[in-house]
Amino acid sequence: MSVTSRTRFVNPRLGTYFGIFVSSLTGLVILLLIFEELGTASGPLRWAMLLGPLALYVAIGLCAPTQEPLEFFAAGRRVPAGYTGLGIGVASMGATGIAALTGAFFLIGFDALCLTIGGLAGFVVMSVMLAPFFRKFGTFTVPSYLGRRFESKPVRLLSAALLAVPALLMIAAELRMGAFAAGWLVGQPQSLMIILLSVVFVAVGVVGGMRSLTWSGSAAAIAAVLALLVPVTIVAVMVSNFPLPQLTNGPLLRALMHLEGAQGVPISDATPLAFALPGEGISSIAKRFTAPFGAIGPTAFVVAMLTVMAGIASSPWLIPRVTMTPGVYETRKSLGWATVYFALITLTAAAVAVYMRDYVMDMVREQPASLPDWVRQLVEFGLVSADSASPPTYTGLGFARDGVLMALPVAAEMPKVVLYLAATGIVAAAVVGASAAASALGNVAAEDGVNGLSWEPLARKARVHLGRLAIAGVAVVGGLFTLLAPTDPLRLMLWSLALTASTFFPVLVLSIWWKRMNAFGAIAGMSCGFGVALLTILAAEAGIVGLDGALAGLFGMPAGALGATLASVTTPGPSRSMLELVREIRIPGGEVIYDREMRLLRLKNRERA
Amino acid sequence: MMERKERKPYWRHTKWQMLASLVPFLVLIIVLPLYAESLNAKRFLGFPLGYFLGAHGIAAIAIFTVVSFVNRQDAIDRWHGAHEDT
Repeated sequence: MSVTSRTRFVNPRLGTYFGIFVSSLTGLVILLLIFEELGTASGPLRWAMLLGPLALYVAIGLCAPTQEPLEFFAAGRRVPAGYTGLGIGVASMGATGIAALTGAFFLIGFDALCLTIGGLAGFVVMSVMLAPFFRKFGTFTVPSYLGRRFESKPVRLLSAALLAVPALLMIAAELRMGAFAAGWLVGQPQSLMIILLSVVFVAVGVVGGMRSLTWSGSAAAIAAVLALLVPVTIVAVMVSNFPLPQLTNGPLLRALMHLEGAQGVPISDATPLAFALPGEGISSIAKRFTAPFGAIGPTAFVVAMLTVMAGIASSPWLIPRVTMTPGVYETRKSLGWATVYFALITLTAAAVAVYMRDYVMDMVREQPASLPDWVRQLVEFGLVSADSASPPTYTGLGFARDGVLMALPVAAEMPKVVLYLAATGIVAAAVVGASAAASALGNVAAEDGVNGLSWEPLARKARVHLGRLAIAGVAVVGGLFTLLAPTDPLRLMLWSLALTASTFFPVLVLSIWWKRMNAFGAIAGMSCGFGVALLTILAAEAGIVGLDGALAGLFGMPAGALGATLASVTTPGPSRSMLELVREIRIPGGEVIYDREMRLLRLKNRERA
Repeated sequence: MMERKERKPYWRHTKWQMLASLVPFLVLIIVLPLYAESLNAKRFLGFPLGYFLGAHGIAAIAIFTVVSFVNRQDAIDRWHGAHEDT
């Protein structure tokens, strides 16, 4: 392993700072546990569990203010690989990836793997095909990159406009999921919680832009991972005496398969293009856990996997994060870390689902005369519904998809604070996911929207102030959009990924790997991909085509690739300067292209003065 | 800094590395889930093998692919003098 000298910019005390954060969080949880045992009412405990961590994230954000554009838009390019990877890994699917994925695993078992495999493959493709080159280019947003790469303002403006749609869908998905957990935690309406989360984002983002968002986001990501790991690890110790739930649920799964067989859980066969992902709200167990393709058909499985892969690899709110690493080598490494964290999260989610299913099936097998305490408690919390059948059957029990993660501590009869911790973890992941998408959209609005007609950025101060304004504006727009569009968060996220995959994946990949591509190709590729994907989603929602909207990438991605290639081939080739630029992107060494451009611009302005 | 005439061999080398990293991985993730059902008859660590390979196996292979790519590509950069200044 070599160490680039650029790592000297990295703050050596980062570990200490985040150690302090983790111990404060642990302290808070232990303190609340003590209060619970002493008999404090649950109201204050719930509020403390929601507001305590949020206050910590805001405090970290306030500690990192900045006036410099490079700090504001790229966190000073000194976020080491590990933290960048943590941010990307958690932000890629955010709260939806933690709560809805656990629920999907619980309800349809194996078939939910299409999302996790897609995410993992997305990081692999991103690290090999996109991220290192984007880091060498060094622009703060994807539209700035596309505009400069094709030397065309229309490309820049078009990509900025198209980017807003998937970004807003992602913000809505994350805020809704976060508001669900937060609203459940403190018993307040979700709309109020959406406003609270938006205010947290603005408070952090306006002070220091990407710098404060990156550091407070790292803290929130650590909290999310811990809150996901702790309850299930305790359950794993209780069940198998070994604190590694991801690897030790095998024997349990085997017993579960026997139980499912005895209870007559069906092994269904889905049609190739069936895509019956469980929706928001209460649904019951649909199929055996390990039997593949009962809810999602084999073709739909592969298409969904490739859509998620392309969507994550080219998502315009994850790619700019790699420009915050100290160098190209660190960028590649950061995606290795993202893969590790994402794998940890998804394997843990699958383990939670196995343990929870085992609790349920065990309860059904025992044929109790009345529902046991923990089920009654879950019904009271609104996370489970039960019919009046006695003894209870698995078909009579319904589970809120997004509440399965929170149901595990109740089923294991742990103290209530552990349950609140699980809910606060979902809120933390929502903060990470929503602020990643919202900050990227804010930067695009400031850099490529308002100032989109000029290659020369605004003066230093005005640029940062415009960035602050854009972040506040995006928070307002995103919050309103979330309040107005009450749809299933998982569906919103899949639409967002399908649109990203169709619009940006072909163009971004070809812009690096195909020299002949020109501005016409970029415009045609983006508009074809976006148009076809959007039409497919709308047609699917209206019931015109027998295809799920989440599979829109099936038509969108080929349309985007075809549009980009055909339009490039039939129009004049790229200029010499453009070819020289592509050759330069491909080589990791040398000065960052964007930074050099800014440096030359400064020199020119000084000479003029 | 890299010499001009090194650019072509460097890019050829990089392209082959890209294919070597991605093609086997993509083939595997597409083909493996389709055979999960028949693999489920066997067991590993108590898990049905098809599910185990789909969940844990692909995660391990993804991590391995990125790690090996990072090391190989770094070696290629150094070989052609395209690496960042140290």
